[in-house]
Amino acid sequence: MFKAAPLCVLLGLAVFFLLWELSARALDGAFILVGPVEVLRYLFENQTLMARALWVTLQNAALGFVYGNLAAVLLALIAILAPRSERVVSGLALLMFCLPLVATGPILRVLFGPGQGPQITLSALAVYYTTYVPLLVGLRAAPATWFDLVRSYGRQRWSELVHVRTMACLPYFFAGLQIAAPAAFLGAMVGEFTGAERGMGVLTVRAIRALDVDASWAIATLAAGVSIAAYVGIGWVARLCTSAPPPVILASTAASAGRAGGWPDRVLTPVLIAAIALVVWWAAMTVFDLNGFFAKRPWDVWAALVLDADAAETRAALTTALAETARYAVPGYLAGLAAGVGLAAVIVLLPGAALVAMPICIALRSIPIVTTAPLGVLLLGRGSAGTITLVAVMVFFPTLVACLQGMRQAPGQIVDVLRSYAASPLARLVHVQLPTMLPAFFAAARMSVPAAVLAVTVVEWLATGRGIGALMALSASLSDYNMLWSAVVCVAVLSVMLYGIVSVIEGWVLSVFAPEQATR
Amino acid sequence: MTHTQFNRRTALALGLGAVASGLTAPRAFAQTQVNLQLSWLHSVQFAGSYIAQDRGFWEQSGLEVALLQGGPNAPVEPPVVSGTALVGISAADYTAAAVAEGAPFKIVAVAMQKNPFVVTSLPANPVNAPADLIGKRIGMALANTPVLEALCKLNGVDMAGIDIVPTQYSAQPLLAGDVDCLLSWETDLPVAMAVQGIDSRTMLMADHGYAVHSQTYIATEDNLANRRAEIVGLIAGEVAGWEAYRQDTDAAAALTVARFPDAGLDLETQKLQAARQVPLMFSDLTDASGFGWWTDETVQANIETLALLGRDVTPDLWDRSILEEVHGT
Repeated sequence: MFKAAPLCVLLGLAVFFLLWELSARALDGAFILVGPVEVLRYLFENQTLMARALWVTLQNAALGFVYGNLAAVLLALIAILAPRSERVVSGLALLMFCLPLVATGPILRVLFGPGQGPQITLSALAVYYTTYVPLLVGLRAAPATWFDLVRSYGRQRWSELVHVRTMACLPYFFAGLQIAAPAAFLGAMVGEFTGAERGMGVLTVRAIRALDVDASWAIATLAAGVSIAAYVGIGWVARLCTSAPPPVILASTAASAGRAGGWPDRVLTPVLIAAIALVVWWAAMTVFDLNGFFAKRPWDVWAALVLDADAAETRAALTTALAETARYAVPGYLAGLAAGVGLAAVIVLLPGAALVAMPICIALRSIPIVTTAPLGVLLLGRGSAGTITLVAVMVFFPTLVACLQGMRQAPGQIVDVLRSYAASPLARLVHVQLPTMLPAFFAAARMSVPAAVLAVTVVEWLATGRGIGALMALSASLSDYNMLWSAVVCVAVLSVMLYGIVSVIEGWVLSVFAPEQATR
Repeated sequence: MTHTQFNRRTALALGLGAVASGLTAPRAFAQTQVNLQLSWLHSVQFAGSYIAQDRGFWEQSGLEVALLQGGPNAPVEPPVVSGTALVGISAADYTAAAVAEGAPFKIVAVAMQKNPFVVTSLPANPVNAPADLIGKRIGMALANTPVLEALCKLNGVDMAGIDIVPTQYSAQPLLAGDVDCLLSWETDLPVAMAVQGIDSRTMLMADHGYAVHSQTYIATEDNLANRRAEIVGLIAGEVAGWEAYRQDTDAAAALTVARFPDAGLDLETQKLQAARQVPLMFSDLTDASGFGWWTDETVQANIETLALLGRDVTPDLWDRSILEEVHGT
């Protein structure tokens, strides 16, 4: 099978490029799609310009990637070493991740002034959470016997971390890094929308306005190429670092001794998270002395939503916009999850398919949504199909990566047992690989909630002009910062609530299939 | 690798800085550093500022002006309110909205006497007058619905007869036949089409009663009181820069392209755009009174159009004292 692999890849890529070129030829003159030949010509003719832009964005994305992932590691360490803090840390990290770019961008620009600050920060903000979540799962993905062994030597949490958890988390960590690479690039590009002098994001905006479809697709191709290279590179490092076969994690009866804590805990934690968030919000604005005209404080939002004479109107505008957004975001999210699991299953059943499918999937995901949003809507129409598809693409890729990695965690011994009974690959998938995949799947489902929200708001902002994304952009342009901040709060709170719903479902399922995830 | 590069660059910058300060030290007066916040990406739209910088019009007033680029997620008002920028480039409708939200802005000069909004159509199915809009599908951002409403009210056209199709800001939907016309600027989408070899018709809304000053220079009341000399110097440089721009728009376009090699600008596009914005910026009024000027009549017309857009403003929004000082009247 592996000897055929390179041929398979070449064939798959050839078909892909051929289809791309043929579709471009078919749509010639419509200013929608450009084929690989034209893209290459454009890149060749504008090589110095593109190289300089790529270099700038790449540097910012790389710094953002490093800072963001360092933050993720720190947060995960805090959560593991001080388990009581985990829910609060996770909640705050999530809340921060849910803040829409339309609101944070201009504030970062005022904070940093001219330069690369906002680009690097937005890039870091785009990645820390998608690394934090799988890392936390990985840090727990070890058999209880290993922890028993550490304890039998009289050692404590620190030794557990060094000797057990670190090794256990590596596959999950690398999967997180692979998901982070395109996100970092996207974050850096969106950061350039806040008034950067140069870079791929700046060129994207200009290309779309100037009807320069060649440039749009050349940028998209280059961005995709970079992301694919990063994905492959991280995968290569991952294989060097993780040679041990995945362990058998058996359910222990002691394990079910409650993750959730009692009812008081369930009520207190959200209250604590909300309180900390409000204090941080107020304190940050005060410390940085941000002008109240655009940096609204918590009580401004309270006034806008509850106290003011036009509060009812504000609430109505928000509700209408949110309802419109939900019509795209929810189907897109579910379709993305289904497609991710489905393709992961296909790849496990037919390993050859991965060689063809993976590069295309990475390309799909890593073509920055800021480029694909307008083009995707052009290709798929202004109806709901375009937006739903773009949301699904954003959700689908992290799900696929996480599920594939999860299925690879299927312990060899158990697979061998099924083999010795001559069980079919399908039986292996259903009885071993799908259950082992569940923790990774739910991690992906949780972190895809903010990703879906990000996708839908970006598409609404840049392409369709509807829903909450458009409302936020419009409010910013009309200086209606009360509305903007109210929208930010609503989006963040709703994202956290949806995340909570997914967590509850996860809790039910994992307490049966992966109890080690449900304990400390 | 990134780190080495950064260090080397920093060292280089520091070295150059030291040399530069050594050279400028004997000067009679120190240059005051101020920022001008632009409303969009660098292009010939702001070429007057590049000329002012290039020819040292600001240095003469003791100013070192940095031009801060705008962008899709870079509203002008926050940096001006927070003092990052001394002056920002906005438009009367956006300024009116910001003032209604409590921002202490004044309009101190008007670069675009005529609003650049046009209805762009194809010659085979043209929109030459507002009445032609009846029965047509117009592609635009839903956010701009009040603009279309105002145009209709000004010209007695029934809005119900127009089909608004929400589109992104691109000429593509028009070319694909999804819409019959587009709401755009005179100086961007039609220019992009022309460069792609596609002929288009534009109906300038300003020619049909839509009077909203655009590319207006705004400053806060506080800065107008306390940093007056700097604002006067900045606007004086702008005025001189734009007068020079008018003399040779091709040169202005060439300067823009040369100054921003990383912006991906196309010289032909910039030349065309530069020529097309001249009639918006210069008129008999500016010939008589100078660049950036306005009269009580044009302000009144603005107030009436802004009222149709749902903005109640008074002539106090405009403060001509800076221009009066610049033009010596």
